Amino acid sequence: MEQELAQKLVTSLHEAGIDVITYLPETRLSQILPLIRSDDSFKLIPVSSEAEAITIGAGAALGGKQVAVYMECTGLYVSCYSILSIAKRFGVPLLLLIAHLGSFADQRNNSVYAVSGAYVTPVLDALEIQYRLVETGNNLEICIKDAARHTNALKLPVALLFSGEFTR
Amino acid sequence: MIRYDCFALLAPLITDQIVVTSLSGQKIEWAHLSKHEGNLLVGTMGTALGVGMGLAVALPQRKVIVLESDGSVLLSLFNLATLANLDLNNLIVFVFDNASYSGTRISEPTATAGKSDLAKMAQAAGIEKAVTVRDLQSFEQEMTAAMNENRLRFIVCKVEESTEHRNIPRTDMDPLENKYRFVRYLERTEGKKIVRSHG
Repeated sequence: MEQELAQKLVTSLHEAGIDVITYLPETRLSQILPLIRSDDSFKLIPVSSEAEAITIGAGAALGGKQVAVYMECTGLYVSCYSILSIAKRFGVPLLLLIAHLGSFADQRNNSVYAVSGAYVTPVLDALEIQYRLVETGNNLEICIKDAARHTNALKLPVALLFSGEFTR
Repeated sequence: MIRYDCFALLAPLITDQIVVTSLSGQKIEWAHLSKHEGNLLVGTMGTALGVGMGLAVALPQRKVIVLESDGSVLLSLFNLATLANLDLNNLIVFVFDNASYSGTRISEPTATAGKSDLAKMAQAAGIEKAVTVRDLQSFEQEMTAAMNENRLRFIVCKVEESTEHRNIPRTDMDPLENKYRFVRYLERTEGKKIVRSHG
Protein backbone atom coordinates (compact mmCIF):
# COMPACT_ATOMS: atom_id res chain seq x y z
CA MET A 1 0.00 0.00 0.00
CA GLU A 2 1.28 3.45 -0.84
CA GLN A 3 2.29 5.58 2.11
CA GLU A 4 -0.18 8.27 1.15
CA LEU A 5 -3.04 5.77 1.24
CA ALA A 6 -1.87 4.40 4.58
CA GLN A 7 -1.88 7.93 6.00
CA LYS A 8 -5.34 8.55 4.59
CA LEU A 9 -6.63 5.40 6.25
CA VAL A 10 -5.18 6.35 9.64
CA THR A 11 -6.47 9.93 9.38
CA SER A 12 -9.91 8.57 8.52
CA LEU A 13 -9.89 6.31 11.58
CA HIS A 14 -8.95 9.26 13.74
CA GLU A 15 -11.67 11.45 12.27
CA ALA A 16 -14.23 8.68 12.75
CA GLY A 17 -13.46 8.79 16.49
CA ILE A 18 -11.60 5.49 16.75
CA ASP A 19 -9.35 5.59 19.81
CA VAL A 20 -8.44 1.94 20.49
CA ILE A 21 -7.13 -0.51 17.90
CA THR A 22 -6.43 -4.14 18.68
CA TYR A 23 -4.45 -5.99 16.04
CA LEU A 24 -2.45 -8.93 14.84
CA PRO A 25 -0.12 -7.72 12.08
CA GLU A 26 -0.44 -8.92 8.49
CA THR A 27 1.05 -8.04 5.12
CA ARG A 28 -1.37 -5.85 3.15
CA LEU A 29 -2.20 -2.91 5.41
CA SER A 30 0.82 -3.10 7.72
CA GLN A 31 2.04 0.39 6.79
CA ILE A 32 -0.70 1.82 8.98
CA LEU A 33 0.89 0.44 12.15
CA PRO A 34 3.83 2.86 12.56
CA LEU A 35 1.48 5.74 11.73
CA ILE A 36 -1.02 4.65 14.37
CA ARG A 37 1.75 4.05 16.89
CA SER A 38 3.11 7.56 16.40
CA ASP A 39 -0.30 9.16 16.97
CA ASP A 40 -1.06 9.63 20.67
CA SER A 41 -4.79 9.75 20.05
CA PHE A 42 -4.79 5.99 19.48
CA LYS A 43 -4.18 3.23 21.99
CA LEU A 44 -2.70 0.40 19.92
CA ILE A 45 -2.98 -3.07 21.49
CA PRO A 46 -0.96 -5.90 19.97
CA VAL A 47 -2.41 -9.35 20.59
CA SER A 48 -1.34 -12.94 20.09
CA SER A 49 -4.56 -14.20 18.50
CA GLU A 50 -7.41 -12.50 16.67
CA ALA A 51 -9.71 -14.27 19.14
CA GLU A 52 -8.46 -11.96 21.87
CA ALA A 53 -8.36 -8.97 19.52
CA ILE A 54 -12.14 -9.29 19.67
CA THR A 55 -12.53 -9.93 23.41
CA ILE A 56 -10.08 -7.19 24.42
CA GLY A 57 -11.66 -4.83 21.91
CA ALA A 58 -15.12 -5.66 23.26
CA GLY A 59 -14.00 -4.96 26.83
CA ALA A 60 -12.56 -1.61 25.76
CA ALA A 61 -15.79 -0.76 23.92
CA LEU A 62 -17.87 -1.61 27.00
CA GLY A 63 -15.55 0.71 28.91
CA GLY A 64 -16.40 3.59 26.57
CA LYS A 65 -13.79 3.38 23.82
CA GLN A 66 -14.42 3.46 20.08
CA VAL A 67 -12.69 0.32 18.91
CA ALA A 68 -11.34 -0.97 15.63
CA VAL A 69 -9.98 -4.51 15.27
CA TYR A 70 -7.39 -4.87 12.52
CA MET A 71 -6.65 -8.35 11.17
CA GLU A 72 -5.89 -10.47 8.14
CA CYS A 73 -8.93 -12.22 6.74
CA THR A 74 -7.76 -15.57 8.12
CA GLY A 75 -8.08 -13.96 11.53
CA LEU A 76 -11.80 -13.77 10.97
CA TYR A 77 -11.89 -17.57 11.04
CA VAL A 78 -9.85 -17.60 14.26
CA SER A 79 -12.11 -15.04 15.91
CA CYS A 80 -15.56 -16.42 15.00
CA TYR A 81 -16.16 -17.83 18.49
CA SER A 82 -15.24 -14.55 20.21
CA ILE A 83 -17.42 -12.59 17.79
CA LEU A 84 -20.39 -14.83 18.52
CA SER A 85 -19.96 -15.36 22.24
CA ILE A 86 -19.04 -11.79 23.16
CA ALA A 87 -19.59 -9.19 20.44
CA LYS A 88 -22.88 -10.56 19.20
CA ARG A 89 -24.30 -11.92 22.47
CA PHE A 90 -23.64 -8.67 24.30
CA GLY A 91 -24.22 -6.39 21.32
CA VAL A 92 -20.85 -4.65 21.18
CA PRO A 93 -19.91 -2.18 18.43
CA LEU A 94 -16.57 -3.06 16.82
CA LEU A 95 -15.21 -1.82 13.51
CA LEU A 96 -13.45 -4.78 11.88
CA LEU A 97 -10.69 -3.73 9.48
CA ILE A 98 -9.99 -6.87 7.47
CA ALA A 99 -7.24 -7.20 4.88
CA HIS A 100 -8.95 -9.35 2.28
CA LEU A 101 -6.13 -11.55 1.06
CA GLY A 102 -7.08 -13.92 -1.69
CA SER A 103 -9.93 -11.76 -2.95
CA PHE A 104 -10.50 -10.95 -6.65
CA ALA A 105 -8.81 -7.57 -6.35
CA ASP A 106 -5.94 -8.68 -4.10
CA GLN A 107 -2.92 -7.48 -6.06
CA ARG A 108 -0.68 -10.05 -4.40
CA ASN A 109 -3.10 -12.93 -4.72
CA ASN A 110 -1.68 -16.39 -5.36
CA SER A 111 -2.40 -19.99 -4.52
CA VAL A 112 -1.37 -19.46 -0.91
CA TYR A 113 -4.12 -16.92 -0.32
CA ALA A 114 -6.90 -17.62 -2.80
CA VAL A 115 -8.58 -20.44 -0.90
CA SER A 116 -8.40 -18.63 2.45
CA GLY A 117 -9.88 -15.52 0.90
CA ALA A 118 -12.79 -17.31 -0.69
CA TYR A 119 -14.66 -17.96 2.54
CA VAL A 120 -14.52 -14.50 4.06
CA THR A 121 -17.81 -13.12 2.81
CA PRO A 122 -19.71 -16.40 3.33
CA VAL A 123 -18.50 -16.44 6.95
CA LEU A 124 -19.48 -12.80 7.47
CA ASP A 125 -22.88 -13.60 5.97
CA ALA A 126 -23.26 -16.61 8.25
CA LEU A 127 -22.38 -14.44 11.26
CA GLU A 128 -24.81 -11.78 9.98
CA ILE A 129 -22.06 -9.18 10.07
CA GLN A 130 -22.68 -6.37 7.62
CA TYR A 131 -19.68 -5.45 5.50
CA ARG A 132 -18.43 -3.28 2.68
CA LEU A 133 -15.68 -3.91 0.15
CA VAL A 134 -13.11 -1.11 -0.04
CA GLU A 135 -10.83 -1.27 -3.08
CA THR A 136 -9.77 2.35 -3.63
CA GLY A 137 -8.96 5.35 -1.49
CA ASN A 138 -11.78 7.35 -3.06
CA ASN A 139 -14.18 8.50 -0.37
CA LEU A 140 -12.23 6.51 2.22
CA GLU A 141 -12.90 9.08 4.92
CA ILE A 142 -16.64 8.88 4.34
CA CYS A 143 -16.58 5.09 4.12
CA ILE A 144 -14.84 4.73 7.50
CA LYS A 145 -17.02 7.36 9.13
CA ASP A 146 -20.13 5.58 7.79
CA ALA A 147 -18.89 2.25 9.14
CA ALA A 148 -18.11 3.73 12.57
CA ARG A 149 -21.56 5.30 12.72
CA HIS A 150 -23.18 2.06 11.62
CA THR A 151 -21.44 -0.15 14.19
CA ASN A 152 -22.63 2.22 16.94
CA ALA A 153 -26.14 2.38 15.56
CA LEU A 154 -26.38 -1.39 15.26
CA LYS A 155 -24.43 -2.09 18.45
CA LEU A 156 -22.83 -4.96 16.61
CA PRO A 157 -19.57 -5.48 14.72
CA VAL A 158 -19.41 -4.31 11.11
CA ALA A 159 -16.58 -5.04 8.70
CA LEU A 160 -14.61 -3.24 6.02
CA LEU A 161 -12.82 -5.59 3.64
CA PHE A 162 -9.75 -4.00 2.10
CA SER A 163 -8.43 -5.14 -1.26
CA GLY A 164 -7.42 -3.54 -4.60
CA GLU A 165 -5.24 -0.44 -4.06
CA PHE A 166 -4.72 -1.41 -0.45
CA THR A 167 -2.98 -4.65 -1.41
CA ARG A 168 -0.28 -3.30 -3.73
CA MET B 1 -11.03 -24.85 49.82
CA ILE B 2 -14.10 -24.39 47.63
CA ARG B 3 -14.77 -21.54 45.25
CA TYR B 4 -18.00 -20.44 46.93
CA ASP B 5 -16.17 -19.73 50.19
CA CYS B 6 -13.60 -17.63 48.32
CA PHE B 7 -16.37 -15.67 46.63
CA ALA B 8 -18.07 -15.16 49.98
CA LEU B 9 -14.89 -13.46 51.21
CA LEU B 10 -14.50 -11.33 48.08
CA ALA B 11 -18.10 -10.20 47.53
CA PRO B 12 -18.38 -7.90 50.59
CA LEU B 13 -15.20 -6.07 49.54
CA ILE B 14 -16.63 -4.92 46.22
CA THR B 15 -17.34 -1.20 46.18
CA ASP B 16 -16.56 0.46 42.84
CA GLN B 17 -14.58 -2.39 41.31
CA ILE B 18 -15.72 -4.08 38.12
CA VAL B 19 -16.05 -7.86 38.22
CA VAL B 20 -15.97 -9.97 35.05
CA THR B 21 -16.91 -13.61 35.48
CA SER B 22 -16.22 -16.66 33.41
CA LEU B 23 -18.85 -19.35 32.97
CA SER B 24 -20.96 -22.04 34.56
CA GLY B 25 -20.69 -22.48 38.31
CA GLN B 26 -18.59 -19.33 38.73
CA LYS B 27 -21.17 -17.15 37.10
CA ILE B 28 -24.02 -18.74 39.07
CA GLU B 29 -22.26 -18.48 42.41
CA TRP B 30 -21.00 -14.93 41.89
CA ALA B 31 -24.36 -13.67 40.63
CA HIS B 32 -25.96 -15.22 43.71
CA LEU B 33 -23.51 -13.61 46.15
CA SER B 34 -23.14 -10.22 44.46
CA LYS B 35 -25.88 -8.12 42.91
CA HIS B 36 -23.43 -5.32 42.12
CA GLU B 37 -24.15 -3.34 38.96
CA GLY B 38 -20.47 -3.53 38.08
CA ASN B 39 -20.75 -7.28 37.44
CA LEU B 40 -20.34 -8.41 33.86
CA LEU B 41 -21.38 -12.05 33.72
CA VAL B 42 -19.61 -13.09 30.52
CA GLY B 43 -20.48 -16.75 30.83
CA THR B 44 -18.47 -18.30 27.99
CA MET B 45 -15.21 -20.28 27.92
CA GLY B 46 -11.98 -18.48 27.16
CA THR B 47 -13.35 -14.95 26.92
CA ALA B 48 -13.61 -13.32 30.36
CA LEU B 49 -9.91 -12.54 30.68
CA GLY B 50 -9.82 -10.79 27.31
CA VAL B 51 -12.89 -8.71 28.15
CA GLY B 52 -11.38 -7.84 31.52
CA MET B 53 -8.13 -6.71 29.87
CA GLY B 54 -10.07 -4.45 27.52
CA LEU B 55 -12.00 -2.92 30.40
CA ALA B 56 -8.79 -2.36 32.34
CA VAL B 57 -7.30 -0.57 29.32
CA ALA B 58 -10.39 1.62 28.89
CA LEU B 59 -10.75 2.45 32.59
CA PRO B 60 -7.22 2.70 34.00
CA GLN B 61 -8.37 4.45 37.18
CA ARG B 62 -10.73 1.62 38.14
CA LYS B 63 -9.88 -1.80 39.54
CA VAL B 64 -11.00 -4.67 37.32
CA ILE B 65 -11.34 -8.17 38.79
CA VAL B 66 -11.61 -11.21 36.53
CA LEU B 67 -12.93 -14.48 37.89
CA GLU B 68 -11.63 -17.23 35.64
CA SER B 69 -11.45 -21.01 35.64
CA ASP B 70 -8.72 -23.47 34.64
CA GLY B 71 -10.56 -24.82 31.60
CA SER B 72 -11.36 -21.33 30.39
CA VAL B 73 -7.79 -20.03 30.75
CA LEU B 74 -6.44 -23.16 29.05
CA LEU B 75 -8.71 -22.51 26.07
CA SER B 76 -7.18 -19.07 25.52
CA LEU B 77 -3.59 -19.43 26.70
CA PHE B 78 -2.49 -16.68 24.31
CA ASN B 79 -4.12 -14.29 26.81
CA LEU B 80 -1.24 -14.86 29.21
CA ALA B 81 1.37 -13.39 26.87
CA THR B 82 -0.81 -10.40 26.06
CA LEU B 83 -1.66 -9.88 29.72
CA ALA B 84 2.03 -9.90 30.65
CA ASN B 85 2.94 -7.34 28.03
CA LEU B 86 0.01 -5.01 28.71
CA ASP B 87 1.06 -5.09 32.39
CA LEU B 88 -2.18 -3.53 33.59
CA ASN B 89 -1.73 -2.40 37.19
CA ASN B 90 -5.49 -2.13 37.76
CA LEU B 91 -6.26 -5.77 36.99
CA ILE B 92 -6.57 -8.77 39.32
CA VAL B 93 -7.12 -12.21 37.82
CA PHE B 94 -8.35 -15.03 40.04
CA VAL B 95 -8.28 -18.43 38.40
CA PHE B 96 -10.36 -20.97 40.31
CA ASP B 97 -8.63 -24.17 39.35
CA ASN B 98 -10.60 -27.28 40.21
CA ALA B 99 -8.62 -29.35 37.69
CA SER B 100 -11.79 -30.44 35.96
CA TYR B 101 -14.33 -29.50 33.35
CA SER B 102 -16.99 -29.66 36.02
CA GLY B 103 -19.68 -28.25 33.76
CA THR B 104 -19.60 -31.58 31.97
CA ARG B 105 -20.96 -33.18 35.17
CA ILE B 106 -18.63 -36.12 34.74
CA SER B 107 -15.55 -34.38 36.16
CA GLU B 108 -13.46 -34.77 33.06
CA PRO B 109 -9.93 -33.65 34.07
CA THR B 110 -8.25 -30.54 32.66
CA ALA B 111 -4.53 -30.35 31.96
CA THR B 112 -3.98 -28.95 35.46
CA ALA B 113 -5.03 -32.33 36.85
CA GLY B 114 -1.90 -33.60 35.12
CA LYS B 115 1.44 -31.84 34.68
CA SER B 116 0.33 -28.31 33.82
CA ASP B 117 0.66 -25.46 36.31
CA LEU B 118 -1.15 -22.23 35.42
CA ALA B 119 0.83 -19.98 37.78
CA LYS B 120 4.12 -21.23 36.31
CA MET B 121 2.75 -20.74 32.81
CA ALA B 122 1.75 -17.19 33.71
CA GLN B 123 5.20 -16.52 35.16
CA ALA B 124 6.84 -17.91 32.04
CA ALA B 125 4.62 -15.66 29.94
CA GLY B 126 6.06 -12.69 31.85
CA ILE B 127 3.51 -12.04 34.60
CA GLU B 128 5.70 -11.25 37.57
CA LYS B 129 3.15 -11.62 40.33
CA ALA B 130 1.60 -15.01 39.58
CA VAL B 131 1.03 -17.23 42.59
CA THR B 132 -0.89 -20.32 43.66
CA VAL B 133 -2.94 -20.49 46.84
CA ARG B 134 -4.28 -23.71 48.30
CA ASP B 135 -6.23 -22.72 51.43
CA LEU B 136 -8.69 -20.04 52.45
CA GLN B 137 -6.26 -18.18 54.68
CA SER B 138 -3.73 -17.83 51.85
CA PHE B 139 -6.51 -16.81 49.49
CA GLU B 140 -7.61 -14.06 51.87
CA GLN B 141 -4.04 -12.79 52.25
CA GLU B 142 -3.45 -12.62 48.49
CA MET B 143 -6.89 -11.14 47.84
CA THR B 144 -6.39 -8.41 50.45
CA ALA B 145 -2.96 -7.53 49.10
CA ALA B 146 -4.26 -7.46 45.54
CA MET B 147 -7.20 -5.24 46.44
CA ASN B 148 -4.96 -2.78 48.25
CA GLU B 149 -2.18 -2.27 45.73
CA ASN B 150 -1.92 -1.20 42.12
CA ARG B 151 -0.19 -4.09 40.46
CA LEU B 152 -1.17 -6.84 38.06
CA ARG B 153 -1.82 -10.02 40.00
CA PHE B 154 -2.60 -13.48 38.70
CA ILE B 155 -3.79 -15.68 41.53
CA VAL B 156 -4.42 -19.34 40.87
CA CYS B 157 -6.72 -20.71 43.56
CA LYS B 158 -6.59 -24.49 43.81
CA VAL B 159 -10.11 -25.48 44.78
CA GLU B 160 -11.99 -28.72 45.20
CA GLU B 161 -14.58 -29.46 42.62
CA SER B 162 -17.86 -28.36 44.15
CA THR B 163 -21.46 -28.81 43.09
CA GLU B 164 -22.60 -25.87 45.24
CA HIS B 165 -23.86 -23.95 42.23
CA ARG B 166 -26.31 -26.71 41.30
CA ASN B 167 -28.33 -25.82 44.40
CA ILE B 168 -28.39 -22.10 43.60
CA PRO B 169 -31.09 -20.53 41.45
CA ARG B 170 -29.59 -19.21 38.22
CA THR B 171 -29.82 -15.56 37.34
CA ASP B 172 -32.37 -14.90 34.60
CA MET B 173 -30.53 -11.75 33.47
CA ASP B 174 -29.62 -12.19 29.80
CA PRO B 175 -26.42 -10.76 28.27
CA LEU B 176 -28.08 -7.67 26.79
CA GLU B 177 -29.79 -6.78 30.07
CA ASN B 178 -26.49 -7.35 31.85
CA LYS B 179 -24.66 -5.15 29.34
CA TYR B 180 -27.04 -2.23 29.72
CA ARG B 181 -27.07 -2.45 33.50
CA PHE B 182 -23.26 -2.58 33.45
CA VAL B 183 -22.64 0.28 31.00
CA ARG B 184 -25.29 2.52 32.56
CA TYR B 185 -23.54 1.97 35.90
CA LEU B 186 -20.22 2.92 34.30
CA GLU B 187 -21.76 5.94 32.57
CA ARG B 188 -23.18 7.13 35.88
CA THR B 189 -20.06 6.55 37.94
CA GLU B 190 -17.50 7.55 35.30
CA GLY B 191 -19.52 10.54 34.09
CA LYS B 192 -19.11 9.67 30.44
CA LYS B 193 -21.19 8.44 27.55
CA ILE B 194 -20.63 4.81 26.50
CA VAL B 195 -23.67 3.82 24.45
CA ARG B 196 -23.59 5.93 21.28
CA SER B 197 -26.63 5.09 19.21
CA HIS B 198 -26.09 8.03 16.88
CA GLY B 199 -22.53 7.26 15.86
